[in-house]
Amino acid sequence: MAAAPVLPAAAIEPVKEFRRGGMVYRQLGNSELYLSLLSFGSHTDPAYKVAAKHGRVLNPEGQERRDRQLARSFDLGVNMVDTYENNGQWEPVARVVKPRRDKVLVSVCRQFPMFVGENIDRAAKLYGHVDLYRIYLAAGKSVRPKDLEDWDVLRKAKKAGKLRTIGISTHSEAVMMSALEEFEDLDYVMFPYNFIHARTDYTDFIPAARKRGVGLIAIKPLSAGSIVNLDPLALPGTKPENHNMRLYRDNHRPLPPAVVSELTKSLKRMPDETLCQAALRFVYTRPFMAAAMPGMFDDYMVEDNYQALQRSLTLDSDEQSTLKAARKLADAMGPGWLPPHYRWLDREFRA
Amino acid sequence: MNRNGTLISRVILLALCVFIAQALAQSDIKQAGVCSRCHVVSVLEWQISAHVEAGTNCQACHGPSAAHVANERNEVSPDRLPRGKAADGLCSSCHTQGCPSTKQTSDCTTCHNQHSLTKPQQIQSFEGDRSNHPIHQEVARLAKFREMIERAEALAAEKDWAAAKGVFEEALQLRPGDANALQRIAFCERRLSPEMPGFEIVGEEYDDVTGLPFEVKVAGTDIVMRLAPGGDFDIGTEDFKESQPVHTVTIQPFYLGKFEVTQAEWEAVTDANPSEHKDDSRLPVERVSWPDAKDFLSKLNQRVASHGFRLPTEAEWEYAARAGGGLFKGFELARYAWYRENSGSSSPDVDFRKIDTFSTHPVGEKESNRWGFHDMHGNVWEWTSSLLKPYFYDSSDGRELPDAGGHRVMRGGGYADMADLLHPAIRHGERPTRQYRWNGLRIARDVPAANDQ
Repeated sequence: MAAAPVLPAAAIEPVKEFRRGGMVYRQLGNSELYLSLLSFGSHTDPAYKVAAKHGRVLNPEGQERRDRQLARSFDLGVNMVDTYENNGQWEPVARVVKPRRDKVLVSVCRQFPMFVGENIDRAAKLYGHVDLYRIYLAAGKSVRPKDLEDWDVLRKAKKAGKLRTIGISTHSEAVMMSALEEFEDLDYVMFPYNFIHARTDYTDFIPAARKRGVGLIAIKPLSAGSIVNLDPLALPGTKPENHNMRLYRDNHRPLPPAVVSELTKSLKRMPDETLCQAALRFVYTRPFMAAAMPGMFDDYMVEDNYQALQRSLTLDSDEQSTLKAARKLADAMGPGWLPPHYRWLDREFRA
Repeated sequence: MNRNGTLISRVILLALCVFIAQALAQSDIKQAGVCSRCHVVSVLEWQISAHVEAGTNCQACHGPSAAHVANERNEVSPDRLPRGKAADGLCSSCHTQGCPSTKQTSDCTTCHNQHSLTKPQQIQSFEGDRSNHPIHQEVARLAKFREMIERAEALAAEKDWAAAKGVFEEALQLRPGDANALQRIAFCERRLSPEMPGFEIVGEEYDDVTGLPFEVKVAGTDIVMRLAPGGDFDIGTEDFKESQPVHTVTIQPFYLGKFEVTQAEWEAVTDANPSEHKDDSRLPVERVSWPDAKDFLSKLNQRVASHGFRLPTEAEWEYAARAGGGLFKGFELARYAWYRENSGSSSPDVDFRKIDTFSTHPVGEKESNRWGFHDMHGNVWEWTSSLLKPYFYDSSDGRELPDAGGHRVMRGGGYADMADLLHPAIRHGERPTRQYRWNGLRIARDVPAANDQ
């Protein structure tokens, strides 16, 4: 897509926020909930997964690591955790949040093929209530009749006090726009958003959502962990979700030296910050975004993502030029910097 | 002697008050409505006054006072609290000739309590022949009136409707405009001529108050309807935001479908069946939008000799669902309703119960509520005629306009819902075009006048 001016932040009404300790909390749309700007995504570490009845779940070691990372996040002020039953996380999350249930917001996604009402009941029984409940909408031109029925169930469950807020997650902007029109009482939309996949900065979606009081939550703020693939200075031990995609190790495509050099120079001008931190700060600094929800499955990820919040919520010139150089590199690489199962990100959301 | 006389007159007056109060309490307390919840003494005083007979209620003097009623902390005064000359002005708006007793046109409250209208010490000081005092004449007239009413009721008990009607009419001469006498006359007329156009009477049960048959069938169809007797009830609940505040609504008698409209009934009228579940023609019709429901009713009205079939208002629906009582207890719900806990087949796929696991059930398989309506809770959600607007419910504020845009209220809960949603007061606003697999309807009709065509 041709370069166009980034959506002027001043044009969009910022969401209400407050800072407590090192964490910033922002209001989710017009709801009563304030989410920590850094929230905890549902993805679990593929390196520790084993096959189970309803998907691949963490083995005991992986679960122990995740419990530790969750606990550390809560200590840092993270107040929202997303859970996805296919990852076997409902019960473990319930166990971890139980001692601090009044302080932690639980986000749940409906599961196929279970009837959504049944799924809500089970979640409500497990967590007492669900703070954020969403349905995932498949890509398409608009929401499907089946989605409308599911949404009707969500609205009724919210009425009955089982759910505090209801929303959608989707990987399609057309569906997001359609949901704004078709779904009454929509509280929030979770959609892919990062400094490369920011097509919504140039469309009507964000202003329309804000006008309706719909909260916005960024998923894939680090392109499903793939931003690190672009980082020539990535420290040893940093982990993308797919290890085979390390551009600087493998011969997917010759890297343009000039572009890499520009990015390297930019990164060296900000020695205390990685490309991933700058990328996350891009999302943090968007005043309309209630939360960024990266998947975190190593201890350093929790710390790095938190550290990225410990400064002004404005990108400085070094950060801006770094992100610009990284965009150039991603452009030069084509879709090759993303694992095959995440290349829809480029198709649907690349700016 | 004088002291004894005073004592006796006070005892007589007190006994009179109690007698009148007891006799009128049932109907009057409803008329006083929500006021009686707090202003117990004032309403009791008002009940023994002639104002009750004249139909002058709390609102006549104090205004609608909606904000006062809604404010539980008593921070908002009623719309009017007439005192002194303001009270005199209110009195003279009806008593244009002045006080019936003294012809005085001002300072009414020096002799009359503003609610009960009497002050014993003032009556006691009335000079002259006490038997000529207007209150004694009123007592004598009342006694005769009650005697005639009793006689008429005895005749009615013997089903001699014509004779009973005659005596009620005679009694009415003594108390022109008496609401009870008028109602009983209408009752006798109904029993003398029970037929209603468009209805075929089913069974021998008749309402003791209105004389209307409890159960009827829509002529030329299999649709059975039952009478919802008129009355006041408290609509809403504090449990759900959209159903607040609880307030009193008056419902006129009407007929409501004994069951949800079945697929057979729908198909007989429209020659189509939009439903998802089609295993049995007694299953409730579903996948019905609000315009579909209107279209069905329009065709039904064309088919039946007399028109008037419609959707119930949401107030009527809740009134019929409550059936003069409160809420089902949780453990009883399964006796009355199909909902998620009992509407599903026992699937071996217990970990992942799919939507297809749950389905509607033939109407009338569960017990009816107290007024004989089946499946008021569960099975399918039922469209009402009402637009979703905040309470207070006021049928004249545009929410019942058939062509207005906006969400229409659905009631009752469905087969796929959790028990919490099967509350008689829960309101669900839905776009009229939605045709979900749990969207159905139940028909309603005003009580037709005998000369309706």
